[in-house]
Amino acid sequence: MTKAKKKNGKLLIGAGILAAVIAVFAVMFFLFRPGTAQGAKAITIEVVDNNEASTMYDVHTDAEYLRQAMEDAEGLTFSGSEGEYGMMVDTVNGVKADWNVDQSYWGFYINGEYCNYGIDTQPVADGDAFRIVYSK
Amino acid sequence: MAMTGMAIALIEVCKGALMGVPNIELTSFWIIMFTLFFGKKILFVIPAFILIEGCMFGFGVWWVMYLYAWPLLALLTWIFRKQEQMLFWAILSGFFGLFFGALCTLPYVVNGSFNGGIRSGLYAGFTWWIAGIPYDLLHCAGNFVLMAVLYVPVKTVFSRIKKIRP
Repeated sequence: MTKAKKKNGKLLIGAGILAAVIAVFAVMFFLFRPGTAQGAKAITIEVVDNNEASTMYDVHTDAEYLRQAMEDAEGLTFSGSEGEYGMMVDTVNGVKADWNVDQSYWGFYINGEYCNYGIDTQPVADGDAFRIVYSK
Repeated sequence: MAMTGMAIALIEVCKGALMGVPNIELTSFWIIMFTLFFGKKILFVIPAFILIEGCMFGFGVWWVMYLYAWPLLALLTWIFRKQEQMLFWAILSGFFGLFFGALCTLPYVVNGSFNGGIRSGLYAGFTWWIAGIPYDLLHCAGNFVLMAVLYVPVKTVFSRIKKIRP
């Protein structure tokens, strides 16, 4: 076998390993991904702004993830930048939190616990109580 | 010095241009190419790039990840610098994209460990990594394709530049 053929063989093995690792990652995701529930849910979203004023939203939604549930909340507005792992919310109800200016950010909580996921991957279950809190 | 400045500018411009597309980036591609063709100069490019990113977007948790993720890519590239085949670099770049999320869990593990012990830290890191796997798969595919498409033409241009300015 020529040197070039050997090299190509090694590269093909490398490509095969990459494909295998991709498959393992995909399986891991489907086994351990945050569980979502389909169908109608009633949840609450409380927004606490920079003046500690609270606004409560009762949301009836079919959303599986928080982002869509927030979109379904009447009167709630939000925006942010699309980051490496989904939307990074920086503005809620017109109030912008800017880490660069004063180390402020919007903190997300589910049933009293800090959310482990971004809004694009945070699952929503019936009865969940979300809090979105302006934090410094 | 001018070359280093150009390299940083190129990385930043490409990053800005692709900002709206989640996890499709040219930073990995440029760091690999600059390490291959300009060797030690990458030691100035990466810290400057990381510092500029921090100044532009804030020194958050993600910034800590940058401190070791990009230097690791440059180190891997330097180790395999004698490889010349496009497919090799596409595979390496793909692997880097695939493991980017796993690499980035470290600050979450440390933070979680401080708050609730090592078990809590590992759980926080694991859940964060699992939730981001679809983005890592996209990152892997993007890195692989961009390297496959751009390696040969950019290599040709860089080789010419090297002949003019060794």
